[in-house]
Amino acid sequence: MQDEESLVRRAQKQDQEAFAQIYEEYFDRIYRYITLKIGDAVEAEDLTQQVFLNTLRSISSFKWRGKPFSAWLYRIAHNQVVDYFRKKKRTAVPLEETLVSAGDNPQQAAERKLDIEQVLAAARHLTGAQREVISLRFTSELSIAQVAEVMGKSQGAVKALQHSGIVALRRALSVTENE
Amino acid sequence: MNNKEFDNILNECLERLLVKDESLEQCLQRYPEQAAELKPLLETALAAREASAIQPRPDFKARARYQFRSALQERAARKSRTSWGWFPRWATVMAIVLVLVLGGGGTVAAADSSMPDSPLYSVKLATEQTRLTLTFSQMGKARLCARLADRRVAEIAYLANKGDARRVELITQRLDEKLKLLVVLIEGRGGVSIPGMLVAPSAGEAPPETTPPAEDTTLVPEASPPVVITEPGKDWGGSDDAAQNGNRVQLRNTLVSDAARNRAVLHAVLDEVPESTRDALRRALAVSEDGYEEVLEALE
Repeated sequence: MQDEESLVRRAQKQDQEAFAQIYEEYFDRIYRYITLKIGDAVEAEDLTQQVFLNTLRSISSFKWRGKPFSAWLYRIAHNQVVDYFRKKKRTAVPLEETLVSAGDNPQQAAERKLDIEQVLAAARHLTGAQREVISLRFTSELSIAQVAEVMGKSQGAVKALQHSGIVALRRALSVTENE
Repeated sequence: MNNKEFDNILNECLERLLVKDESLEQCLQRYPEQAAELKPLLETALAAREASAIQPRPDFKARARYQFRSALQERAARKSRTSWGWFPRWATVMAIVLVLVLGGGGTVAAADSSMPDSPLYSVKLATEQTRLTLTFSQMGKARLCARLADRRVAEIAYLANKGDARRVELITQRLDEKLKLLVVLIEGRGGVSIPGMLVAPSAGEAPPETTPPAEDTTLVPEASPPVVITEPGKDWGGSDDAAQNGNRVQLRNTLVSDAARNRAVLHAVLDEVPESTRDALRRALAVSEDGYEEVLEALE
């Protein structure tokens, strides 16, 4: 992607192509982030779309203050998830339909789907902050510095959450495998 | 070793493992003293990364992209004053409700056959715009647009017979708009919102003096809706090239027939209308003939 700052500035000036590039760049990552957070791939679709519509509405309010644009975008996604749980008053539901990358053969796809479902099931045993870190680090592939920006925490705090999150995930995965 | 130091080592290993694509063994060799503790954690991190294989469904992604592009274009259109803004709000709301919820019915039918001097005419225009916006394929939009051009000609003939030159001029502009929209649809100018011919003035620009008062629903200028145009030749309603070409040929035949019929209708009226209306009607004839010619050229 071209220089993100100039792209975002163009999008703020109603440049449709710039906005479309941002959309393509982040859509899958935001979708994965939300899916891991709520554990429902279908509900995540609507939420993801809503994130980008909200972004479209509010991008003019985004100010460059040394924080990356992605931090702002993930913040919108985070708020969308918080709203989702508040309105629905529900916890994550089982993943009915997890789709895996194209190119897998059916057997690989099935195995991978099982792995993903196990990870998503295990992620429900994490605290909200741990799940946030694991999701941002491993499905959205953000750096520690970026995660710290998104969460408004120090890098040290994020590393600690990453550690405790992996430990909790491992414990939950062991339980899932033994069931 | 304190927790903070271990957190740093774990993060360093994760960076090497996940970003730099080092193997698990290579990572562990760097920290032999912590290897036993690191190994299960890194294995778990690798498992967690499996979740990055989650992909949105292709059909959802395509639909979402379309909706987003439409929202982008609507926003751009609103920025230069929304195309819907020219319709009285009640007419827009009514048209959307009728089309979406009722799927038609008596009011839509009555509005559909209304003429520009009818109070229901603004509902007719808003309904047309709603249908155009809700029609997704290029072929569907083009066919609808051709029907709408046909309607404008019928309205011109009706108004000319009543000696209403002012409204003949206005509807002629709408006819021109529809035929130009057809050309754009046929040529498939990629990813743009089609500009209206009777476009609303852009933000900050004073409305033209000829703009009628919004309350006069029969004279409300029509603006082109934001229409998503795909690439040329795509989305022509066929599963293969032969089917798409067939659709284009079919559309061309329809338009050849429309052009001939509309020319005949306007010529026939020209002999009967009052002198005061003839100039306006001649302009309508010229717009119709030139417009259809351009459309047919675009289809070649």
